[in-house]
Amino acid sequence: MTPEEITAAAAGGLPPSVGCEADHHGVMLRVPPQHWLTALAFARERLDCDFFDWLTAVDEAGEGLSVVAHVYSLAGRHHVLAGTLLPGSAPRLPTATGIYRGAAWHERETHEMFGVDFAGHPHLAPLLLPGGFEGHPLRKDFVLAARAAKQWPGAKEPGDRDVPHARRRLPPPGVPEGWQRS
Amino acid sequence: MQAGRQPPARSRGVIALLEENCTVCMLCARECPDWCIYIESHKEPVPGHEYGGGPDSAHAPAGRGRQRVRNVLDRFAIDFSLCMYCGICVEACPYDALFWSPEFSYAETDIAALTHEQGRLREWMWTVPPPPPHDEGAPPPPETPGHVS
Repeated sequence: MTPEEITAAAAGGLPPSVGCEADHHGVMLRVPPQHWLTALAFARERLDCDFFDWLTAVDEAGEGLSVVAHVYSLAGRHHVLAGTLLPGSAPRLPTATGIYRGAAWHERETHEMFGVDFAGHPHLAPLLLPGGFEGHPLRKDFVLAARAAKQWPGAKEPGDRDVPHARRRLPPPGVPEGWQRS
Repeated sequence: MQAGRQPPARSRGVIALLEENCTVCMLCARECPDWCIYIESHKEPVPGHEYGGGPDSAHAPAGRGRQRVRNVLDRFAIDFSLCMYCGICVEACPYDALFWSPEFSYAETDIAALTHEQGRLREWMWTVPPPPPHDEGAPPPPETPGHVS
């Protein structure tokens, strides 16, 4: 199916609140959370997307958490991305395992790393992190201990063993404000 | 890599330091995404500039010239337990002090021993191969007359 055919099928078969963006890579369905399972079922049955590739979340700092799934049609050789935006404070989504069994591990990892609750998931136990780990590591507000505890070696100035810093220290690139302990 | 086989040209194994080329600009330590290059240095005056009368004494009158100062490297260490062999330090160095070497057999039982200090990084320099010839069809190198910039 070409992106145009998929867009047309989506316009006909999905609720109007589901947006559809197509480019040369494939199609992205922007789904409100209440239509998540509808969109995935549509992709599986009507768009012939029988291959489940991945499901993950993106921390859209401030705007919430978006959950994105990538499915593919082996016969039609077209990709479909489905994405939904959840509030950051209590992100909940029904499980996709009823439609794609393979989503079980992906949802388990997303739950562990981002704190998204997948209602109806058969086994939402920790997958990768050690027992007793607190917090959700892939969220943007989770402080990376290695960056917070270690002094940035690039903060030194050439020849500064004996000379105190004449000017303000550069912050290390990529480390948010307030992480460094000194 | 099989024993006895030559690794391909420009293979990336360990990173070596040629201390003579290092001016302690610290660009490598700043650019390293893993924060695994540790540099310490101090400044030393360069002797011989206290008085004028040098090559440009027509412009600089005899008498005290400005005291020149240079950076002296105290410590240059790379923590290979953190290094991800991206090569950003080798590319960032403006003075060609860091080199790739194809050596890879330096496994240790103690993780602290994976931090290589200056002496060990110099030893790796002797394993750095000469630059391989350019591929067929590549533009001539900048040093040759045929180069088109």
